[in-house]
Amino acid sequence: MAVVEARGLTKLYGRQVGALDLEFAVEQGEVFGYLGPNGAGKTTTIRLMLDLIRPSSGRVELFGRDTRRDSVEVRRRVGYLPGDVRLYERLTGRQLVRYFASLRTLHDLREAEALAKRFELDLDVPIRTLSRGNRQKVGLVQAFMHRPELLVLDEPTSGLDPLMQQEFYDLLRETTADGRTVFLSSHVLPEVQRVADRVGVIREGRLELIETVDVLRARAPTRVEASFVGVPPKGAFDGLAGVREIERHGHVVLFALEGPADPLVKALARYEVIGLDSHEADLEDVFLAFYREGASRAA
Amino acid sequence: MLRSVFTKTLYDVRRSFAWWAAGFVGYVALIVGVWPSVRDNPALIRLHETYPEELKAFISFGGEFDFGTATGYLGAELFSLMVPLLLIVAAVGAGARALAGEDERGTLDLLLANPLSRNRLTLQALAALLAEVAGLAVVLYLALLAGSAAAGMDVSAGNLAAAIGSALLLALAFGGIAFALGAATGHRAIAIGVATAGAVAAYLVNGLAPLVDVIGSVRWLSPWYHYVAGDPLREGLSAGHALVLVAIAVVAAAAAVVAFERRDIGVSS
Repeated sequence: MAVVEARGLTKLYGRQVGALDLEFAVEQGEVFGYLGPNGAGKTTTIRLMLDLIRPSSGRVELFGRDTRRDSVEVRRRVGYLPGDVRLYERLTGRQLVRYFASLRTLHDLREAEALAKRFELDLDVPIRTLSRGNRQKVGLVQAFMHRPELLVLDEPTSGLDPLMQQEFYDLLRETTADGRTVFLSSHVLPEVQRVADRVGVIREGRLELIETVDVLRARAPTRVEASFVGVPPKGAFDGLAGVREIERHGHVVLFALEGPADPLVKALARYEVIGLDSHEADLEDVFLAFYREGASRAA
Repeated sequence: MLRSVFTKTLYDVRRSFAWWAAGFVGYVALIVGVWPSVRDNPALIRLHETYPEELKAFISFGGEFDFGTATGYLGAELFSLMVPLLLIVAAVGAGARALAGEDERGTLDLLLANPLSRNRLTLQALAALLAEVAGLAVVLYLALLAGSAAAGMDVSAGNLAAAIGSALLLALAFGGIAFALGAATGHRAIAIGVATAGAVAAYLVNGLAPLVDVIGSVRWLSPWYHYVAGDPLREGLSAGHALVLVAIAVVAAAAAVVAFERRDIGVSS
């Protein structure tokens, strides 16, 4: 059974589309990366999952239960970090954690203490004096402290310094190693590429693509950078199977390569090559390609 | 202290409550302290008696306008306007602050991620509103009891309680309306603005009723009328009028529960 399942999930704000006919399922133990530019509908989807807003049509189930009808039961099993974390300014971190723990009838605060220590967060100062990064940490502590089966995290690393981001990635790994599930939104590709098993891409409220990170990467072109002694004439590499010349900087030419390398290698051999560098594409290339495709399709 | 929404809300208002309470005590001390010199100054009392009847009707609190008795004096100086007004201001502020305030500050998102039903949240916030305003009424009552005794005023403790109780119900009616508007819209300004405008309009309807026939025929619509009509400072609390005020508060509370359960959180701004 899927931990999260959306069926025809739609949220309209007047004539504006928040989310349109979303269909996806998140399986137990995976990190599902929910990717899209700002304003694409990531937060709308997440707030629908938490029953903070109600769908215009369709539904979303968590643990096989309707988020609206079984709202309280569902929220008992979820940890949530909002994209824009707003906390009680006049409380200390510890007071906030205690308050939420009481609402959850959670008596054991050792996990919360351990998380705070791990993220080097001082729970005893008023929240109004905390920096943005430290507020984010308070948000993370309250999301993880009851060891929920599902974590719904909206842009979780925003405001965290690189060291703390690393700590957060480790925490994610431990969470999924326990068989728990993570739904994580981000507009940062490398982050999703790094932590997610599968990726859903949302744009203008529509889910454009759901795929595993491995498949996406396999589908992506390799980047090959060749530097020459002279400069090969323009058009020298046109018409090669699976090869596309991307750009030139003086003696350096950058190619995108899909499929076997042979045609490109043969073509390069006709010129004097002094350097050759290739690297695996990251998701950025995939999405650039993907969006180009989308744009040309729309045109 | 931070065990539930109810206790958390009271914890949040502890300072403002203390200031309100201090203000009430100070105001009562001032009014009561002036009483001996008013009582012993026949010229001042006669001056008041020369006021036009219309004005007297406006500034008296039920019954006859008798500035020379302790009851009449307290009615005119405290209960005709200031006590209910201050309680209404406190209640409307607290009612608007409750759900709409949290929604505007964006903290509802995190709060409602906890396993807490919206109905339960609304009811606990309502209970806190009730506790806060009732607490102020109790402070006011104790201050008046002590003050009137110290100044040798001949007023009944039971009737003082009835008058303050009536003012409390009036305040809860408007506080409930503000709470419901805040719960439904998520906007504190709407809650405060509409509830305050309603309170002022209701005050004018009740005050002008004896002077303008058309208004007189709709006087029963004004909660202020039900606050004063039973003459609680002399006659004790009238069950019928009190029930009207209770009914307004209860209907507002029920509307708040229903509206808040249905709406989207955090999209009103």
